[in-house]
Amino acid sequence: MHVLVCAKRVLDPDGVNGYALWGRLKVDESGRSFDTGGTVPRIINAYDEQALEAALRLRDAGVDCRITALTVGGEDAGEILKRCVAMGADRAIHVFDAEAQTDGFRVARIVAALVGELADVDLVLCGRQGSDYDQGAMPGALAEWLGASLVTMASGVAAEPGTDGAVRVTRAVPNGEEMVRAQLPAVVSVSNELGQPRYPSSRGMLAARRTPPERREATEFVEAGETATVELVQLIVPDVQGQCEVIEGEDVRTKAAGLMARLRERGLLNV
Amino acid sequence: MSEHVLVLISAAPGATLRAADREALGAARAFAEGRGLAVACAVIGHDVQAVATEAAERGADRVLVADAAELVTFNGDRFIPLAVAAIAATEARVVIVPRGPDLLELVPRLAARLDGASVMGVVELRGDAQDVSVVATAFGGAAHAVYRFNAPGPRILALAPAVAEAPERVAGRAVANEPIAPSEVVPRVEVVTPAAPLEGPRLEDARVVVSGGRGLGAADRYSMIVSLAKALGGMPGASRAIVDDAWATPAQQVGLTGKIVVPDIYFAIGISGASQHMAGCSNARCIVAVNTDPQAPIFRYADYGIVADCLEVLPELIRLAGDPGA
Ligand SMILES: Cc1cc2nc3c(=O)[nH]c(=O)nc-3n(C[C@H](O)[C@H](O)[C@H](O)COP(=O)(O)OP(=O)(O)OC[C@H]3O[C@@H](n4cnc5c(N)ncnc54)[C@H](O)[C@@H]3O)c2cc1C
Ligand SMILES: Nc1ncnc2c1ncn2[C@@H]1O[C@H](COP(=O)(O)O)[C@@H](O)[C@H]1O
Repeated sequence: MHVLVCAKRVLDPDGVNGYALWGRLKVDESGRSFDTGGTVPRIINAYDEQALEAALRLRDAGVDCRITALTVGGEDAGEILKRCVAMGADRAIHVFDAEAQTDGFRVARIVAALVGELADVDLVLCGRQGSDYDQGAMPGALAEWLGASLVTMASGVAAEPGTDGAVRVTRAVPNGEEMVRAQLPAVVSVSNELGQPRYPSSRGMLAARRTPPERREATEFVEAGETATVELVQLIVPDVQGQCEVIEGEDVRTKAAGLMARLRERGLLNV
Repeated sequence: MSEHVLVLISAAPGATLRAADREALGAARAFAEGRGLAVACAVIGHDVQAVATEAAERGADRVLVADAAELVTFNGDRFIPLAVAAIAATEARVVIVPRGPDLLELVPRLAARLDGASVMGVVELRGDAQDVSVVATAFGGAAHAVYRFNAPGPRILALAPAVAEAPERVAGRAVANEPIAPSEVVPRVEVVTPAAPLEGPRLEDARVVVSGGRGLGAADRYSMIVSLAKALGGMPGASRAIVDDAWATPAQQVGLTGKIVVPDIYFAIGISGASQHMAGCSNARCIVAVNTDPQAPIFRYADYGIVADCLEVLPELIRLAGDPGA
């Protein structure tokens, strides 16, 4: 089975949170990115690391699979592929595209064309959403354009007993978990319920040094001047107005009592 | 023929409109007003008459219904052709989808099939139907992003919570259901083992939610969160940090990628207040924070705060909750 894992390079959400938490998040002159003085690193989208982990577990479970990691993005985007190979991917492809960061539909068009060229991809694993723009558009659009099955919110992927034409996917749903069977080819997007991804082994890190990503150009797959389907025009940092009454008191007991008294006064408690 | 803004609802059997559906109807009405548009609503599911009726009573000018036994649960392969038919029938350029568990499949697939575009987490619609642009949350809500579209097909927009008011319900306002013709599809994805049906109350409906975070310090202390929730007649929630560490279950996670709750009181105990967490609870009527760090961002969202060790505060609150006279 040929498994393609799609990975996006994103601004570390914890770093962005750190700025936001202190009220210091600002938009730079371009109006479309944050001014963090380069202190917030760009990392592999955490859900995509989990998508790769899902592929590796499939292989660990004895499914004969080749794993190709793919990213679409600017000059440095290929960096995250090193981590993918170090974790266990067999091959890495960087489709160079300066514009790829925000338009999931453009990425889906590029990936669909590449999958067509590779011709033997059975399963595409993605993250449920980019932790930057929280869209989750790319997997759905890709499945649609490939005419493939789509399963979102996966917490586990396994071989379907008795057939190699399908996979069995566990999904995180509001009531808990359900299990579905998806015909191949399929696009499956993975959620954090999958659990911790593994750390790269030292052997893997060696392999990563020996396996640089193959570089392709986005213009091989989409027309050069094509405009974004969804175009980010501007970023805004909304104001959060604090108006918290901090309950004072000599000790914890008085503070707790003060709080409960206020909640009861406002009629918010019925016990 | 006047153009429509279409609200696309997937409804469970015998259900009534959910808060999210009503908000979507409100957002559609607000957008239609002054732009010469009418509001259409497509209801897809099985045994959905109550939803169709309420949609009309809440201002839908046209109601399209796809009702069939095989639509009893969401299946993208089955739903998307029906949504496509509803969009074609109403010539909608702007389609509003209420938040719900199936958005990640429904929204981008529908956009891609119709050569349109989609955005999730929309907080504001600008422009007109031919040239709509949107403001949506990004980075869990730490930022907003303004998007413009360049695609021939319709714009499929999923709303963030609480961006619009429900339209008033006018009992007896009725429009005839227009049936959406069923389509013959053999789904590529099938449920083998469904989730166990939910028993008991849902976190989303709780009037009091007590959530714990990493500030609890250890898994076994989550029991204090459960005790306080119980004493207050509410339900326990959790930050993702402690769900990832298995101190609480995924069903208890509140936030962007968890449950969205709108209780009268939300207790955030040992929770820092990251935007992704607040995306799930910031519309509570009253937020109470307990945190040792007076600078914790949760205090910017909270109405009341206690700066103290939650391990000391929790037993006091549990005691007081159990004894209304105290
Ligand atoms: C794409 C994405 C989606 C996400 N989705 C969600 C989501 O849906 N829900 C969610 O919750 N998070 C989500 N997160 C994670 C989120 O960014 C935060 O990491 C998480 O909410 C932090 O959880 P926490 O507040 O429990 O932990 P921390 O941030 O570690 O905060 C712990 C807090 O406890 C306080 N504390 C420590 N000791 C004590 C004590 N003894 N008494 C009282 N207070 C104490 C500390 O001062 C601190 O403020 C998401 C992140 C990403 C990138
Ligand atoms: N530029 C990209 N390169 C590779 N994969 C991507 C890219 N953008 C999005 N994806 C994949 O699509 C998923 C959803 O991303 P998004 O639609 O941007 O929220 C991600 O988790 C990735 O798996």
